[in-house]
Amino acid sequence: MLTQFEHFAITEMMGKTDNPPRANGSLCFGSEWERSSFGMALALAKNGFFEWDDFRDELIWTIKDWEDAHPVDRSTWNYYDQFLAALEKAVVKAGIIDLEEIRAALAA
Amino acid sequence: MIDRFQYREDREAYSAARVKALEALLIKKGIITDKTVDTVLDFFETKMGPFNGAKIVARAWVDPSFKDRLVADTPAAIAELNLPEGMAGAEGEHMRAVANSPNVHNLIICTLCSCYPWPVLGLPPYWYKDPTFRSRAAREPRAVLNEFGLPVPEAIEIKVWDSSAQIRWFVVPERPVGTEGMTEAELEALVTPEAMMGVAIAKAA
Repeated sequence: MLTQFEHFAITEMMGKTDNPPRANGSLCFGSEWERSSFGMALALAKNGFFEWDDFRDELIWTIKDWEDAHPVDRSTWNYYDQFLAALEKAVVKAGIIDLEEIRAALAA
Repeated sequence: MIDRFQYREDREAYSAARVKALEALLIKKGIITDKTVDTVLDFFETKMGPFNGAKIVARAWVDPSFKDRLVADTPAAIAELNLPEGMAGAEGEHMRAVANSPNVHNLIICTLCSCYPWPVLGLPPYWYKDPTFRSRAAREPRAVLNEFGLPVPEAIEIKVWDSSAQIRWFVVPERPVGTEGMTEAELEALVTPEAMMGVAIAKAA
């Protein structure tokens, strides 16, 4: 009986490799951009722009790609780097924003 | 082959710029507003989390009659406190507290799935969902607690509470010795989610 989407989204990810960093039971963000990435993904899924499960799959694949490319050296690992990459892919796939727009905004 | 994934020197600033660009585009298109991220995350940061459980336990430590009411009728006792709305909703409505005593140590698990009283404990730790933890904690709680670094003397009975969709348990740990002069707010800081799950005890410092 999950009426709170935020909780649903988080518990869906618990105990899996894609579960978000926490400290003492609270979500833990290293910086403002990590917090914004997380908040945007949650808000977009909550409002139906994509399914949370699909976003999770995107994240799982993004993490897997990274792990395959870093079989030994994991020193550069950052969870939210993967999260952000998955989010960019998800918004493009959902047709909300296209790749060109993202590139242009970044160059501006 | 690793080059493809090599991070830029300025990756922190670069990631920040990417997020800013994405957020600006979404706002421009009217998909989100500049308040959306705060609204979504406010839920975890201020409304539902282990800080609520810490407040409940600290109150129980300073007020024994509250502790009695908390164990007898958990939702009614929680309603006495000035906690965020929603504590009693959804997952919160089925919560029940069990109190540790000098003779009894309580441990909560969920053998069925991962039912968890998240309004008071926050997000469950990774091992809570682990099938091995779940089955072993039910079968040999003393051994499992030992592995958590919590040896429980034989003289103390261990009670295991299995959470379900009907009841989500949490533990009121014992007030640590040496905290007699502490304020309620200072006591809150001693209450950890682990202590409220029964895999740890509250410590004075």
